[in-house]
This record gives sequence, C-alpha cells and structure tokens, in this order.
Amino acid sequence: MIAHLRAPGWYRAAFYIALALGLSWLLLWSANGFSASDVSGIGWVQVSLISAPLFFLGGLGAFDYWIYWASGRPTRPEDHSAHGATSWKDYLRINTDHKVIGIQYVVTSFFFMFIGGLMAMLMRAELAAPGRQFVDPSAYNGLFSVHASILIFLFIIPVFAGLANYVIPLMIGAPDMAFPRLNAVSFWLLPAAGTIMMLSFFAPGGSFASGWTAYAPLSTTAPDGQVFFTIGVQFAGASSIATALNFLVTIITMRAPGMSFFRMPLLVWANFSTSLLVVIATPFVAASQFFVLLDRALGFNFFDAAQGGDVLMYQHVFWFYSHPAVYIMMLPGFGIISEVLAVKSRKPVFGYRMMAFSLLAIVILGFTVWAHHMFVSGMQSWIRVPMMVTTAIIAVPTGIKIFSWLATMWRGVLKLDTPMLFALGFLTMFVLGGISGVMLSMLPFVIHVSDTYFIVAHIHYVLFGGSLFTIYAGVYYWFPKMTGRMYNEKLGKLHFWTTFFFFNVTFAPMHLIGVQGMPRRVADYSEQFANWNMAISIASFFLGLSTLIFLYNMVASWRGGKRATGNPWNALTLEWQVSSPPPVFNFDRIPTVVGGPYEYGVPGAVHGVFEGVETTAEERQPAGAVASTAKE
Amino acid sequence: MEAATVHHHHGPPEANRSSRIHPALLGMLLFIISEVMVFGAFFTAYFFIRVVVPGAEWFPFDGFELPVAVAGVNTAILLSSSLTLHWAQVSIKNGNHTGLKVGMLLTFLLGATFLFVQINEYATLTREGITPQAFAQGTIFYGLTGLHGAHVFIGLLILLVVTIRAFRGHYSPDHHDGVEVPGIYWHFVDVMWIVVYTTVYIL
Ligand code: HEM
Ligand SMILES: [Cu+2]
Repeated sequence: MIAHLRAPGWYRAAFYIALALGLSWLLLWSANGFSASDVSGIGWVQVSLISAPLFFLGGLGAFDYWIYWASGRPTRPEDHSAHGATSWKDYLRINTDHKVIGIQYVVTSFFFMFIGGLMAMLMRAELAAPGRQFVDPSAYNGLFSVHASILIFLFIIPVFAGLANYVIPLMIGAPDMAFPRLNAVSFWLLPAAGTIMMLSFFAPGGSFASGWTAYAPLSTTAPDGQVFFTIGVQFAGASSIATALNFLVTIITMRAPGMSFFRMPLLVWANFSTSLLVVIATPFVAASQFFVLLDRALGFNFFDAAQGGDVLMYQHVFWFYSHPAVYIMMLPGFGIISEVLAVKSRKPVFGYRMMAFSLLAIVILGFTVWAHHMFVSGMQSWIRVPMMVTTAIIAVPTGIKIFSWLATMWRGVLKLDTPMLFALGFLTMFVLGGISGVMLSMLPFVIHVSDTYFIVAHIHYVLFGGSLFTIYAGVYYWFPKMTGRMYNEKLGKLHFWTTFFFFNVTFAPMHLIGVQGMPRRVADYSEQFANWNMAISIASFFLGLSTLIFLYNMVASWRGGKRATGNPWNALTLEWQVSSPPPVFNFDRIPTVVGGPYEYGVPGAVHGVFEGVETTAEERQPAGAVASTAKE
Repeated sequence: MEAATVHHHHGPPEANRSSRIHPALLGMLLFIISEVMVFGAFFTAYFFIRVVVPGAEWFPFDGFELPVAVAGVNTAILLSSSLTLHWAQVSIKNGNHTGLKVGMLLTFLLGATFLFVQINEYATLTREGITPQAFAQGTIFYGLTGLHGAHVFIGLLILLVVTIRAFRGHYSPDHHDGVEVPGIYWHFVDVMWIVVYTTVYIL
C-alpha cells in the first residue's frame, strides 16, 4: 500500500488530492487565527479548487523529474518507459510521447464534446415548446453556460491542440515536441479543468450561469457555482499557453534539414499562427478571471462601481482575449482544410504564400476588433466605427483563403471521401457563417439583432459548421496514421450527410427567428416562435444521434478496422512517409526536405527524402510513396 | 511498431536544430511575452480605474498617500540584484565558481529583502486604511504590486534552485544555460518593477 502511495500513479494522485483538501483547510484555519468555526465553506472550496489539480498532477508524477532536477539530485536517466503506448493503460499515465499525448487530448476532448452535446439536447428539449418543460429558468441558464464553456474551452481549443500535437512533430521531421514533460502537464490540466466545470452542478445555488462570457457584475454577484468557471478556465488557459509555447519552440527550432518556413505544410503554419494568438491573448482571459476571483473571494473592487471600479473594463479585457479566441478556434481548422483539399484534389495549394501570409494577417488584425462584441454595451461610442471598419477588413484575409481553396480544387481530380466531404461541408457552412459575421459587423444591423437567435445562428455556423467540421475532417484524415487502422468509409459518409443535413435544419431557421426578435439565453419565448422551435428541437435530436454513428465508427474501426498502410492517401507530407502508427521516435533517421509540401501532380516532385535510401525517378512520381515503401 | 520497440534505442534521435536560438531560451522569451500580457491586463484595469471612471482620482487623495521614497529605496535594492546576478553569470562564464556562488547568494538575499520591505509596506498601508477592499485605487494598487510580488516570489524560488545547484557544482564555463535562462526571468521581473513603480507611485 505504502509503495502504491509513493510511486507516481493514480493511487498517489488520489492520496495527494486528499492531502490538498486537508492542507487547504489547515491553511484557512491558520489564516483565521486557528479557529475552525471561522473557516468558510466556500473559502475552503476555492483554495481546494486551486490546489487540488496541482496536487493531482503531482500525484500522477507530472513533476517528479523537475523536483529531482530542481533539488540538485541526480535525475534518473530517461529510460523512455514514458514513451510509446502498448496498451490502453499507457494512455492513463503521465506519458511524454507526443503521439500518446495527441491521442489523449483528442479522446478526452471528444468525451467533453459528448457531455456538452448532452446538455444541448436537454436545452432543446426545454425549448421544444413555449413555457416550462423540464428545467426551471436558472437551471437553463446553468445549462447553456456550462454547455458553451465546456465546448469552447475543453473541446474545440484542446482537440485542435491534440491533433496538432500528434501531427506537427511528424510533419516537420522532429522526434518529439521541444518540451515533452511540459506537454504532458498541458494535457493533464485538461481533465482537471473539465472536472471542475462539471462539479459546479453540485455547488449550492447551482452551476455557474452567467454564460461563457461571465460578464461582471453578473459573475461577481452570482452564487458560488461561478468560481468553478473562474478557476476551471484558469487551468484550461494555462494548458493552452503551455502547449502554444511548446508548438512555437518546436516549430522554430526542430524542423528537419531543408524544411524552410515556406516549405512547411499549412497545418504547421496554422498552428504557428494560432500559438502566437494564444501566447499573446490567453493571459488576458486569465487576468479577467483573476479579477473576478479577487472581487468574489477577497472583496476587491475591480468591478464595483460604487467604490470606483469599472464594469465595462471586464468586457474590454475579456473580448481582447475572446475575439482572438474565435481565431484560436478557427485557424487550426484552416490548416486541416488546406491539407485535406490539396491531397484529395491532387493539386498544389493555390497561392501557398498568400495562405501563409493571410494567417499572419489574421493574427495581427484579430487584436484590433474586440469591441465589436460590445456595440450595445454602452461603451464610449467613438470606439464603434473604427471597430466596425476593422471587423469588415478582417474578413479580407479569410476571403483570400476561401478563394485559394476554391482555386485549389478547380479542375482537380476530387476524391469525395469522408475527410473531403467534411472539408467541402466546412467551406459552404463557413461562408454562410462568415456572411452572417460580416452582417453582424454592420452597426445598424447588429444593434437590432444583438442578443437574439441570430447570434446563436452565427456562432454555430462558424463553430459547428466551421470548426467542428474541420475537426471531423482532420480526425478522419489522420485516423489511419494515429491508429494504424482504416475507418469505415460508408459509415463516415453516412455520418457526414446526416450531420450536414440536420445541422442546417437545426441552425438555419435561427437566423430567421433571430431577426424576428427571439432573444437568446432565455428558457421561454413567445407563442409566435413555437412552430420553428419545435422543428429545430426535432432536428437537433437527429443531429445528436448522427454523432453516435461517428462514435461507433471510431470505436469499431480502432478495434477491428482494416490495417492501414503507411500512406493510404498518397500524401507528400512527412507524417505519411513513416509506418502507421509511426515508430516510437517517429523517424529512425531524420528526413531531409527537398521541395514544397503540396506538389501534387507535378512530375518528379518530392517533399522529403530519407538520406541513404535509393530512390529512382519512377518511385518518386507517385506522390509521397518514396519513403514508405523504402521503410517496409 | 514492434520492430521499433525491440530496436535498442537509447533515446530519440537528435532533432535537427533549425534555429540558432536555444530552445529553453526561446521558451523563456515566449513565456515572458505571456507574462507581459498578464501585466498588460492589470495595467488595463489600472487605466480604467485611474482614467476612465468618471471622477477618478489617484494617490495622494483624501489623505491617502503612498510611501514613494521607501519604495524608491526598495527599487534600488531590486535593481542592484540584477547587477549581482549579472556578475554571477559573467563569473561562471569565466570559470569563477566562487563568483557564481557569492553572486547568486547576494541576488537571492537582495530579492528577499525587496519582498520583505514590500510586505512591511502592505502592513503599514493597511493600518492607514489603504486596503484593496476600501476603494478601487487600493484594489489596483495591491493588484499590480501583488502580481509583481508574486513574480518576485516565484523568481526567488527559481533563484534558490540555481543557487543550490551552483553550490553543488552543476555549472561550468561551457554549461551554464541553467544560470542564463532563469536569469532572464529575474531581469524581466526587475524591468517590470520599474514600470509598475513608475506608473503606480510616481506618475
Ligand atoms: C468574417 C468573420 C467574422 C465576423 C465579421 C464576425 C463578427 C461577429 C460579431 C460582430 C459578433 C458580435 C455580435 C453581438 O454580440 O452582437 C460576433 C459574435 C460571435 N462570433 Fe463572430 N465573426 C466572424 C467570424 C467568427 C468565427 C470564425 C468564429 C469562431 C470560430 C466566431 C465566433 C463568434 C462567437 C462565439 C460570437 C458570440 C460571442 C457571444 O457569446 O456573445 N465568429 N461575431
Ligand atoms: Cu469577434
């Protein structure tokens, strides 16, 4: 038993969590002059929420190496038992292999997607008819808040980080990420953050209910469930920042010989840009939640107007993060689409450099538009027009990307399999979402539709039809690489068509009822919207069901799918030039990059070669087959 | 997969170095960018409380005053710790182990003194009625200086680790990244203090 508690692992983690709860209490007890009756319950919960996740990671063993190192003791030489996975149990411990971490990320995020999706189903059940069905208004507020927070902070943002974690080192020809131990910490912070958010349902007064935006003073005066958001977001944010830093260092310092910046696949470019956004913007959301926590827990006055605080300041700080955050939730998807479209159309990406530069343009412009979320907040009115102009301008680089993708497909030999279908689905849906976005940037219009279902429609066209479709495209596309198995193509297509259809039936009518004035974030609505809402609810249940096809396909194919070859798509990028799944350290020899990543259909074009492997001109022609055949 | 595991690797193949900058150094610089942004958000709050709020006033007001001079001396103490740190770094580059040890120790002590003086200042101000709970000016005063203080505290922990390792002889003239990289963090903490001191106490 003692041995269990001393060795890193789940037993020690459980023990450490108990320790954290105890120490937090002792801390408060001593801070209150050693009087047990003065220790407030919520105070104890707050301190525990901060300490327990860190102790949990410590118990699992995330910090062991650093503690040895920091105390100047000889660190145990890496035996690499922490690399690779041979059974499912290897996914449940601290593992420093980027491929294992990538899968841990993706699976965990999808777990949270199903949780968030279930909450959506509950909300739609409530909204199926006017009046009260299943939940009272405050429970409804809790549902949509946790739904949005979980899907944003624990699904879309981390699932992209997970895919990139798996793919980037392979794509740039690196054996792992730059800081593998930090990478493991980033991952394990996520289950902690998600657990915290879900625990809020058990808080007295119910879960946090002030939306994913948690505006002050709503959030500073809400019941105690709010702190679960405040603290949960901190951990999710810390995880994002650490991963972004890791990506940037990996991409800058660990590229294979010959892999210049302009030979990098666009997925790498996309995550490079996203990581810049994360490193610069995410600290702002951390700070906004520090303010809320300090106001709530210690009676600070950041947002107390009576004491000289400023409520609007919250919105400025929050949106200075959260507008860039919508690009954090979109740019990695842009990267995935570029990969899939080029491979599935057998054509080079049109305007590769423009694609890279437009990403950087979005990064820069993304910091100049935050107040378009505040048009009706009562902020200084002179900010409005400049923000309207920048918001319209930021649509330009996005437009460039759309036209490049269209030109990439132009006259290509399109292979309409599942990843490609999702890529095309993304293109159409995202254009619709972008149009509603540009409409929203127009002052006279937005003042009319702010806080109506039009916003809900816009959000879901860009986040579901946009981000989630790219995620599906990416998961199907790299599934063979990650698992060594092929997914079932028939089920994949069925999944696409059902999702695509019911998605539109669910969300398109929301534009209409939005313009007609149905307010968002309310459990009840007037009789005139009843028919539409019933239709939307029914469609949404089918949309929910369509996800089960995906789940079944993934599980069944992972267990018993056809074995995948190294390069089933005949792709050029480096991750496809090794076996599926790749060897523990990715490459036995680091490849050398000799050309661009997307020279499909260009005779004799090669992206990377393994030094010392003989290749004939003939072998080089079928894109990317070179190294994978040589390895067999 | 199998073949790769039985293959007797003694670790991953060396990654190609595609940039001259050391990964740990780059990581630290990016981390500092993040940190600057955290401070940026706190300065935004400061700006709102001091400038945007209608009828905003700043210290000294209503008889509430900040100890500009004491904090000035404290600033000098913190800045001198950057000098001793620099001296320690130069020493190890030249193989002077004693210089490294003395330099690190001095840096640590100066940093600790700074924190000690600041905590005393908090105690005094609290007695005078300047608390974060009293008014928003107090909130942001403690917010900004406290955020910085937390960084000093973390910095001290890091310095402590470096000092311990220095005494155990872990560094040498061609192996001193472990002094360089934490050093950058400490210098950052110092520079940040100058900004905080100027905006909060002087301007
Ligand atoms: C051409 C691009 C875009 C434009 C011009 C645009 C514009 C806008 C505007 C003006 C609003 C504020 C509406 C209001 O609250 O009154 C808004 C809200 C929102 N947008 Fe976009 N948007 C664009 C793309 C995106 C993308 C790519 C995403 C995410 C992937 C996104 C996610 C959101 C979200 C989540 C909200 C709602 C925030 C809330 O909860 O209040 N948008 N958009
Ligand atoms: Cu925005």
